[in-house]
Amino acid sequence: MFENFFKADIPGELISSLIVIGIIAILSIIVGILAARQNPLKKPKGLLLVAEIGVKFFDNFSRDLVGTTLPNFGGFIMGVAMYLFISFIFGLTGLPSPVTYMAIPLSLGLTTFLLIHYTSARFTKWAYFKRYIDPIPIFLPINLISMWAPLLSLTLRLFGNAIAGWALLTIVEYALRDLSGMVFSFMQTEWNQVFLAPIPLAILHAYFDVFSGLIQTFVFILLTSIFIGQEIPEDIDLNTLERRKKQ
Amino acid sequence: MTGSLNVLAAAIAILGVMPSALGEGLVCAHALDGMSRNPEMYGKLRTSMILACALVETTAIYSLLISILILFTK
Repeated sequence: MFENFFKADIPGELISSLIVIGIIAILSIIVGILAARQNPLKKPKGLLLVAEIGVKFFDNFSRDLVGTTLPNFGGFIMGVAMYLFISFIFGLTGLPSPVTYMAIPLSLGLTTFLLIHYTSARFTKWAYFKRYIDPIPIFLPINLISMWAPLLSLTLRLFGNAIAGWALLTIVEYALRDLSGMVFSFMQTEWNQVFLAPIPLAILHAYFDVFSGLIQTFVFILLTSIFIGQEIPEDIDLNTLERRKKQ
Repeated sequence: MTGSLNVLAAAIAILGVMPSALGEGLVCAHALDGMSRNPEMYGKLRTSMILACALVETTAIYSLLISILILFTK
């Protein structure tokens, strides 16, 4: 049954995406066990302290941008942010980074896109369809086209950043390899190609993987929160929702 | 493989980074203006400036993506 399991033609990026998900799952399980054992009266330290700072940061972030209407939204953006940042810096290991495979930014963008429409339909009920004929009904075709703009911009921003950094690093890598081969050609071995690359590539990796990854992760969760937050009407909060449920 | 017309198309597509660079310069100029007027806002303005730069860069990255796709796809 499983003899062909490892021969499947899966792209390497999807396998590294599974590894990233595994890392996050193991980290979350460790933090969960630590949090369950911790005495709540004592100060947290180590990994638990980092986790608490992270959770607090994302909770404040979601409360500022989305409001208290969606109380669990901080958890969602924390998951997305952890996945995206670890995916971006996963290129440092030498394995392919998951963000350079178009399906993965597309599925993240699709999640945001579906959440925007779900939130809008949940809070405005049938008035949801009013957004397609916004000022006057003649705007229907324009609105039908412009509704895809958030999906496209989110997807292409992530994918473009990742693929641009990857392409530049690959070009520099090949150029430094050949240059080193020329400069150290007196060594008469294949190993004369490895001398020039390490230091410039370390600096470029620090910029394109770590710094750019951090900025793009933050931009992604910022745009997701703003897009979803503007679908929630101003006058709705948790109390009115509960009252509506009781009626 | 890549013909000469593809290279020309990639060169035209990369022209889109020009207005994006101008926009990024405007962002930095106005952030520096604000920083020099009230220096106690320096930290907040720098964070917002980096975020705005990343948002403005997006259009440049679309052009770069398109020209990379033209050059490297068969």
